[in-house]
Amino acid sequence: MNAQQLGDSVKQQFGDKVVELSALGPNQLCLTITPDSLVSVAEYLNKDLGCRFVINSGTDRRRQRGKFLITHFFAHDEEKIYITLHTEVGEDQPEVDSITPSVPAANWSERETRDMVGVVPVGHPDPRRLVVADDWPEDVFPLRWDVPHDLKPPPAEGVAMPLLDPPEGASVVPIGPYFPVLEEPEYFRVFVEGEEVVGADYRGFYNHRGIEKLGSSALTYNQVPFIAERICGICGFVHSCSYCQAVERAAGIEVPPRGEYIRTIMLELERIHSHLLWLGIAGHIIGFDTILMQVWRMREPLMWLCERISGNRKTYGMNLVGGVRRDIEPEIHDDVRRVLTDIERQWQELYNAIPGDTTLMARLQGTGILPTEVARARGAVGPTARGSGLPIDVRVDHPYAAYDRLDVKKRVYDGCDNLARTLVRLDETLDSINIIRQALREMPEGEIMAQIDEEIPAGQQAVGSVEAPRGEVFHWVLTGPENRPERWRVRAPTYANLQSVPPMLQGDALADVPIDIGSIDPCFACTDRMEVVDVSSGQVRVYTQDELLNKKY
Amino acid sequence: MITSKLREAILCLRPGRVTLKYPFEPHDPEGDFRGYPELDADKCIGCGGCATVCPARAIMIQDIDQNTRRIVRFLERCIYCGRCADVCPEDAITMTKRFELSTDQGREDMVAECEVFMATCQRCGQCYKPPSALDKIMEPGFRDDKLKRGGDDSPYEPI
Ligand code: SF4
Ligand code: SF4
Repeated sequence: MNAQQLGDSVKQQFGDKVVELSALGPNQLCLTITPDSLVSVAEYLNKDLGCRFVINSGTDRRRQRGKFLITHFFAHDEEKIYITLHTEVGEDQPEVDSITPSVPAANWSERETRDMVGVVPVGHPDPRRLVVADDWPEDVFPLRWDVPHDLKPPPAEGVAMPLLDPPEGASVVPIGPYFPVLEEPEYFRVFVEGEEVVGADYRGFYNHRGIEKLGSSALTYNQVPFIAERICGICGFVHSCSYCQAVERAAGIEVPPRGEYIRTIMLELERIHSHLLWLGIAGHIIGFDTILMQVWRMREPLMWLCERISGNRKTYGMNLVGGVRRDIEPEIHDDVRRVLTDIERQWQELYNAIPGDTTLMARLQGTGILPTEVARARGAVGPTARGSGLPIDVRVDHPYAAYDRLDVKKRVYDGCDNLARTLVRLDETLDSINIIRQALREMPEGEIMAQIDEEIPAGQQAVGSVEAPRGEVFHWVLTGPENRPERWRVRAPTYANLQSVPPMLQGDALADVPIDIGSIDPCFACTDRMEVVDVSSGQVRVYTQDELLNKKY
Repeated sequence: MITSKLREAILCLRPGRVTLKYPFEPHDPEGDFRGYPELDADKCIGCGGCATVCPARAIMIQDIDQNTRRIVRFLERCIYCGRCADVCPEDAITMTKRFELSTDQGREDMVAECEVFMATCQRCGQCYKPPSALDKIMEPGFRDDKLKRGGDDSPYEPI
């Protein structure tokens, strides 16, 4: 089935509820439907066709059409299709039916759209605000076009996020906003009965940077990749790559094959160093710092290699719309191979040591259970999904860059626990090494950047996605008139995966909570689209609800 | 368990000591490292291309009078992307290997200014650098950038 056929089947089902139908190539389908049919179409896509909910987005199109554009994104992974489901609502009644009751994965993003654009999801089960600061004015919606990107409303006193009440008889253990093993500010309220976790609530987005707003108001097409790269403190290349792909697809720009191979190599280098980093942190969280030290030592030569190739160890700054800025010269190929061989050997040694280590296994095995069905319903992606038996991997399902020409395996484990997620990453690291070797061998000669002679036309839209180390990174771009996107929507993998953490914690011992959270390889920087902040250390103490409310701590 | 601990021990022992003596011994970056972007004022023709592409808005172009154009670079904003060096038609900007840029002299220490003598075009009234660099000006040049150092209407934190 291609996008057009999928669209036709939706059209057949819903008739004139489908206002507009267009396909961008065989893999992207764009539907506009009437607001009253939103819930039923979303349910049909999600339940009947098995499409995964990706994200939701709101665009203020009052200037162009007098309306708000609400967009739900779905992915049909087996058929390799992304579905963009638009619906328009008038500005006099900025309301849209919430799809969360039938598609639970939409929970956060519908709240985010309400916070940012001011279109209320009617019937949402958790109508609390999500991303804006507690003291942000109720009637200012940052992504509306008439709100300047540098608006600074005055701070307010005595406001707080309404927190969920713990179940009867349970105590609350706050983890965060600053907590030594989580590195970034986020706040989990873990509800415990004795040692056992019985529930959790989450507050994040402490440091929202408004990057999407910048992209559609202050930056130009080729400035965005550098800001996009800074969405994440570890895997930034995936964001610039994904953004560039979205613009390229929208504007019909073809990246030269050599450029695609270079992107692929950088993406895989990034996956290796990110998985190594994660394994180190996981060891650290468990209290096994030897792993942290050794794995990070193994990682360092790779960082220097990236510095040689790109000019910086982490933010490569290589992507522009149309290709990459730097070549990977033949002189450096042998060095790349040498570094990879070193890592491969040591990784193998580590791999052989881990399963025999009972302390390590005791923390990983059977903890942080995320059942397959829950992972699916919550829209989990990446190693979190693959560790719960969901065979999804953007590199195979929605191939980009040079992946359609390379051997990529989906690593799926059905243990559903922390160990399964660990094994997925261990395997993938070795796979990445082989992918890079193959790419170096098969890389064609030629240009690395497409010549772009014409302006990018306004009003075009496309999806760009990348399999980041943590899962699917998703960018959507609607091109605009002033050499910049009219709307740029970003969904980082942790945004999807974090929603799977509360069910993961259920029934675990309190001591397992840090590794449970750590096992999704959370990147709050991406989720909040905020700066990575080093934290001062904090301690976990158990407070009663009263103490908490009266702030006696 | 024992064998696995032994394996781990070997993994630790084999590499020996790897920590570098940095900063007591210098550790220079390799390859085309993107460090401090240096501007050669003698080469600059004041075209403003660098300011137009800079993603961090670190570069501001000011025309202070008929004949003088000032290029102010707020390097604390710089993200070392090297785009300015890429687009400069005169190769006036080079990405150096300097990365130890912290200062105890305050933010002012991170501001670099240079002035370029320009002539005024008889037709449009805009500046250009003589003798005939106009044809090299690829970009429209001016960014209407509100990047001011302080000031009430500045949208940014005073620098
Ligand atoms: S290196 Fe990049 S951020 Fe720095 S001044 Fe040049 S263009 Fe701006
Ligand atoms: S791009 Fe080069 S010549 Fe033009 S203003 Fe900048 S430094 Fe000067």
